[in-house]
Amino acid sequence: MKYSITTKAGVLGAFLLFFTSACTDLDEKIYSELNSGNFYNNKTEVLQGALRPFTHMQAWLAPTGQSGYYYHSELSSDQLAWPQKGRHGYDSGDHFRQHYHTWTSNEGRMRSAWVLMWTGVGYVNGAIEDLSGIQDPTSLGMTEEELKSILAELYVLRAFHYMKIMDLWGNVPIITKVGEPLNPPTQSRAEVFEFVKNELETYVPQLPLYSEELIGRTTATAGYAMLSELYLNAEKWVGTPMYDECIAASNKIINGEAGGIGGTPQLSDNILETFGNTNKTSPENLYQVAFSRQGGFTFDWGGFFMGYDNMKEALNVGYGGWNAFVVIPSAFDAYDDNDLRKKEWFLFGPQYKYGTTEPVLGTEEWSGQPLVYVNSIRKESEGDISSEGSMAEGEENSGARFHKYQSSTLDDENYQENHYIMYRLTEIYFNKAEAIMRKNNGVATQEAVDLINNSRKRAFSEADWSSNKYTTSTLTMEELLAERGREFIFEGKRRTDLIRFDQYVNGTWWDHEPSGDATKEIYPIPSNQIANNPNLIQNPGY
Amino acid sequence: MKKNFLKGAMLFVFLIFTGLLTAQNLNVSGTVSDQNGPLPGVNILIKGSSTGTQTDFDGNYSLTNVSPNATLVFSYIGFKTQEVIINGRSTINTTLEEDAQALEEVVVVGYGTLTRKEVTSAISTVKAEDFNQGGSRSPMDLIQGKVAGLNITRTQGNNPNQGASIQLRGVSSLTGTLSPLIVVDGIPGGNLDLLQQDDIASIDVLKDGSAAAIYGTRGNAGVILITTKKGKSGEASFEYNTYVQRDIVDKKPNYLRPDEFRSLITEGLIAQNQDLGYSTDLYDELINKNNLSQYHNLSASGGDAKTNYRASLFYNDAEGIAKENGRQQFGGRIGVNHTGLNDLLTLQANLAGNFNKANLLGGSTGDFEQAIQRNPTAPLINPDGSFFETQAYNNYNPLSRLENRINERDQQTFSGDLKLTLQIAKGLSGSVFGSYVRNAYNDRYYRSTKDWEQRENSQYLGTAYASKANYLDWSKTLETTINYINTFADIHTVNAILGYSYQYGTREEFNVNNSGFTTDGFLDWNLGAGSAINNTQLPRPGMGSFKEDNTLIGFFGRVNYSYDNKYFAQLILRREGSSRFGNNNKWGNFPAASIGWSLSEETFLNDVDYIDNLKLRLGYGVTGNQGIPNYQSIVSLGTGGVYPQDGVYYQTYGAARNPNPDLKWEEKKEFNLGLDFAFLNNRLSGSVDVYQRKTTDLLYEYTAQQPPFLRDKLYTNVGTLTNKGVEFLISAIPVTNDDLKWSTDLTFSYQTNKLEVLSNDAFQANWLEFGGLPSPGNLGSAIRLEEGGSVGNFYGKRFAGFNDEGKWLFHKADGTTALATDMNEDDLSIIGNGVPKVNASLGNTITYKNFDLSIFFRGKFGFDILNTKEMYFGNRKWLPNNILKSAVTTHTELNDDPQYSDYYLEKGDFVKLDNITLGYNFDFPSEYIKNLRLYASGKNLATFTNYSGIDPELQDTGFTAGIDGRSFYPRTQTFTIGLNVGF
Repeated sequence: MKYSITTKAGVLGAFLLFFTSACTDLDEKIYSELNSGNFYNNKTEVLQGALRPFTHMQAWLAPTGQSGYYYHSELSSDQLAWPQKGRHGYDSGDHFRQHYHTWTSNEGRMRSAWVLMWTGVGYVNGAIEDLSGIQDPTSLGMTEEELKSILAELYVLRAFHYMKIMDLWGNVPIITKVGEPLNPPTQSRAEVFEFVKNELETYVPQLPLYSEELIGRTTATAGYAMLSELYLNAEKWVGTPMYDECIAASNKIINGEAGGIGGTPQLSDNILETFGNTNKTSPENLYQVAFSRQGGFTFDWGGFFMGYDNMKEALNVGYGGWNAFVVIPSAFDAYDDNDLRKKEWFLFGPQYKYGTTEPVLGTEEWSGQPLVYVNSIRKESEGDISSEGSMAEGEENSGARFHKYQSSTLDDENYQENHYIMYRLTEIYFNKAEAIMRKNNGVATQEAVDLINNSRKRAFSEADWSSNKYTTSTLTMEELLAERGREFIFEGKRRTDLIRFDQYVNGTWWDHEPSGDATKEIYPIPSNQIANNPNLIQNPGY
Repeated sequence: MKKNFLKGAMLFVFLIFTGLLTAQNLNVSGTVSDQNGPLPGVNILIKGSSTGTQTDFDGNYSLTNVSPNATLVFSYIGFKTQEVIINGRSTINTTLEEDAQALEEVVVVGYGTLTRKEVTSAISTVKAEDFNQGGSRSPMDLIQGKVAGLNITRTQGNNPNQGASIQLRGVSSLTGTLSPLIVVDGIPGGNLDLLQQDDIASIDVLKDGSAAAIYGTRGNAGVILITTKKGKSGEASFEYNTYVQRDIVDKKPNYLRPDEFRSLITEGLIAQNQDLGYSTDLYDELINKNNLSQYHNLSASGGDAKTNYRASLFYNDAEGIAKENGRQQFGGRIGVNHTGLNDLLTLQANLAGNFNKANLLGGSTGDFEQAIQRNPTAPLINPDGSFFETQAYNNYNPLSRLENRINERDQQTFSGDLKLTLQIAKGLSGSVFGSYVRNAYNDRYYRSTKDWEQRENSQYLGTAYASKANYLDWSKTLETTINYINTFADIHTVNAILGYSYQYGTREEFNVNNSGFTTDGFLDWNLGAGSAINNTQLPRPGMGSFKEDNTLIGFFGRVNYSYDNKYFAQLILRREGSSRFGNNNKWGNFPAASIGWSLSEETFLNDVDYIDNLKLRLGYGVTGNQGIPNYQSIVSLGTGGVYPQDGVYYQTYGAARNPNPDLKWEEKKEFNLGLDFAFLNNRLSGSVDVYQRKTTDLLYEYTAQQPPFLRDKLYTNVGTLTNKGVEFLISAIPVTNDDLKWSTDLTFSYQTNKLEVLSNDAFQANWLEFGGLPSPGNLGSAIRLEEGGSVGNFYGKRFAGFNDEGKWLFHKADGTTALATDMNEDDLSIIGNGVPKVNASLGNTITYKNFDLSIFFRGKFGFDILNTKEMYFGNRKWLPNNILKSAVTTHTELNDDPQYSDYYLEKGDFVKLDNITLGYNFDFPSEYIKNLRLYASGKNLATFTNYSGIDPELQDTGFTAGIDGRSFYPRTQTFTIGLNVGF
């Protein structure tokens, strides 16, 4: 009756073997992500890959709360600041150092900007690699031309990233493949410039014309606007004036050769349309991030620009903010009182609950008292109504506030449908006018004056206009920079403009004293990146 | 008797077949007792055979057909095993001695057991009778302070919905699992919810690498093996355990009361308009003063030597100290042991379940932050019955949330396991073990139309919001083992095991939310009725789902050898692979070796009377940590948000990560040297262990070179961390006599650590930051871990006084002092450390006649606390929010906004009178009641410390040790009255 040992061992052995041999498979199976090998099966999927860089780009380019290009461009310049407001906003002194130009190579927010922008390059490179691998587009329901056009968009988008990276850091590596080489060496700003120029000049002509169907994409208007910007800054960036090229690229847009939404781009006839909640189809638009709250991709500028929750009632909106960016007093003073932009693009003075005369009450220094935005950054609640103030002395009501983009109210059917405009026709007018003037030894021509007046006219009532229009004698270079500031405030471009006019390190604004140190015109490479990549070279002066 | 006859008959038949029957055999019977009387359930085995029985309820046993020359082995857990030669007698009564020395104590070591004397590595065992008493929220509370080196902290006091954080011998990983592997009855990764304190027989802790290596890639943080109570042969018995429990607030923060707030208005420190005319105390309103928790556990066990069972059912209604903060649960556990096939095949099976419903609405730590900072003159409720909302930054009215919201979790946890063991030959057996553990919950969340966040002037336009979420994780385990145990020539004992282990685990999630409910009639039970589906004015309805899985496969072996009970050795090797590892590093080897030497068995110590045991242990082991996220080694595309194609918003896809095909486990190498001792008839015993552990290949999301990497982080193995420490446990029995016994246990552990390496040739990290300080102010990270530094280092500004205006002055690196605006990165330095260097506990148990009394102290020493309540609320700049009284007493000189510096660091050292329990065992002259014990228990009764905050016992596991946050859960004292009945 006893089972033999061998029988039992045999049964057991077979048993063990069964499980053991069946189960040594350790391959990973993914469920909530995609295997790229199974993707790109049709045009929609190809575009889904090609458009990933866009949803990322807004993070560093648009004022959506990240410490990217926008943050650095504005807070180191003469228009916007993020002062400490009592217990709020010290933030390890980050914003102080931007404002006073005392940054080091070890700034957390600058590390973020580097990461955000190079990740953008990474996404574009990744998409280019994946899409270049498509052998037979017709099998995906696309023509060769369609695929080529999408690739051209990606090449131009990559050049745009490099232009902005070069703007901040000057000398950086150029890589066009993900992961190769492992430690790419720094290349000079001139080399980067040349790369950007070549890529744009090669691929911009391959881009489709801008049209309503392509809203939010990188089309010819965007491409020529990039070229216009690149050429305008060429003298500053690499010492080679390229004003004729700038004018030519600008003319492509102005003449309608690059397309436009609803025909040749036109200046909007008022100062609100381009930033309003129906600005998707504003005739000025050349390049825009196609946000849409209803589409599931909201342009939320609340973090940087909204006050605390009490301001929701003033605007009747759902988004709150950090009470962060304020307008520097000298920048607000740069507008004449009859300049409509001063009234429409800012929140200033007493704030009322929407549609009423009931005051919005303060919650911090002015707790329980009416909230009144003042054109100063100082401790007014403690009786200081005369000092210049400083970055450390802000209060909840310091400074005029952003109101350029307006979301409209919660009950509006287009509430928060605003697009973010990266390039608009007005800028091309300014670029062209500036190029003309620079070619003309800094003296305005009538053509330049007309271009600027076309823009400026919108900011004044008919009655006020005649006394406010420029003439060839009043439109000096200095005035051009000032008007550029007034027109493009909050648009994330101020640092580049100040540098081009040599005012970034030589100008004085509010309590900011000039350093006179030209090395500050480019930022230091973040020290942690240099620690990682021995082939990176720190910029001079750091 | 009929049963016994049958058993005898069966045995008879069995013995005939096995050819062992001899003519002169006799029947033996008797009674087994201990000093208190008859002892049921004692195992009696005929030595050298598998034949045996157990004593019945009266301690009686009988065996038939026993060779007159045989030896009976009497064994019972907690008693010394006794061998008696029959020598022709038919009645053998014996008295078992309690096994104070516990050298025969069974120690669970993973895939098997050893006796204490065979153990060569650092393993602590806590038996049920030594557990902390008085009704525990979590099984881990039972051994808090009982195991030197094992740190168990409840960062949210007695919150019934918050678990304990567990850490052994300090931090052992940067991003991987930090808490020990929990093994419940052999199920790796077993679920603590499935354990009730009355169902646990013992908890064993594998502390060092030479013990934990058997669990390979999951051994780095140590292993906790929990063994549940099993069926015992003998008369069917019941046990009923119950308690009721109440929490009372231990220490309330000292914020300004209404009259104090008003006197500051009179003094002009607060504006006149801040007196809102009422006198309120939000803190009191949030407290559930009448909280009462109850617990019931009924178990039944019985059976015979071949088939026995234990079943238990429990019900628990746990109420927290906060309103709307509770947990109701019920469940049970059934275990069956069955031996058949001529005693060759044994089956062990367990089923356990827990069904619970948690109210997660109240008890949120943020609510109590509001309680401190809310204007105490503000009304809580408006005259019309709606809730009054103060409008200052970050303010909300928690009472409104408690009234207008639902936040519940309905959870079911289940485990089943089965083990078949086949005796192949003498000493050789094979087993197959399978288990299935499933944990699922449904969350429901609702904000009514009356909720402040849903108000008319919000994005919800006055409509309600509802969401639901489902979560499921399950794992299946299959393990096969072959066991061999034999003794050669009486002195060489070998115990070997060889096995294969397969474990698959997966997690699935689903969630959906909607708004636009114009009525509160549905709550969250008709999600489709919310008009946000079709009304694009409203926030878009949301949904999400997720799944991941992973597989872990191991081959393992262990050999224990002992020579003449003097010399012991153990070798372990586990070869294990995880699906999480990169293709270039799928499999790793985890070896361990340890030796033990019983000096007390040597002839030169044999004559020393006062030494009962003296044993040296030395071990070395390699373990791993695979507790990292899935899919980090592979390329895939993840969603990137929507972007329009010709006006239609489609999802976009881009690289989900930088893949790392070299990704592997973190690896720890640990030395452990230990000494076990017992002197003076075991009146003084204990053990000392010193260890050094070095964890290499630490995983961290390193900054990748950008360019060329696509994304900014690469999850890769770079760093090295070392931990060193000493632990000891001393047990003494100062008094023992017939009426009185006093025993005392002291545990002590000292531990330091150092991050040796954080960079390699390819990846550089300067430091890691933890403990980001909250808004407003975003004052940076409080804690920095840098190369050469210790875990828990506070890193910040050094306070240098106040200037005439009361502004902060800090020391600059160059030796000067300056304002906060002039401070930069170079001026910061290490200013303290939040990880206790020393943990100690002292337990005393005194039994006098029928009374038992235990008093337990616990303490932590050598650490700093960052008191962020003082930092923010102890500052007049926090006005017109309410502040702590210290703002106008201790910190009057300060007239500046909050800044983080060593000014707010305090010494955290403390001793707690953690538990006093007094019990009484009734003597019942009844045949129905076997035992009855009534006890009363108090927990967290007193804290001795110089720390000024509410409780110096904070999170001290992980990387954010020693930060006393602004928000908190009230600390309580807990009082319990309980009853244990056996019948």
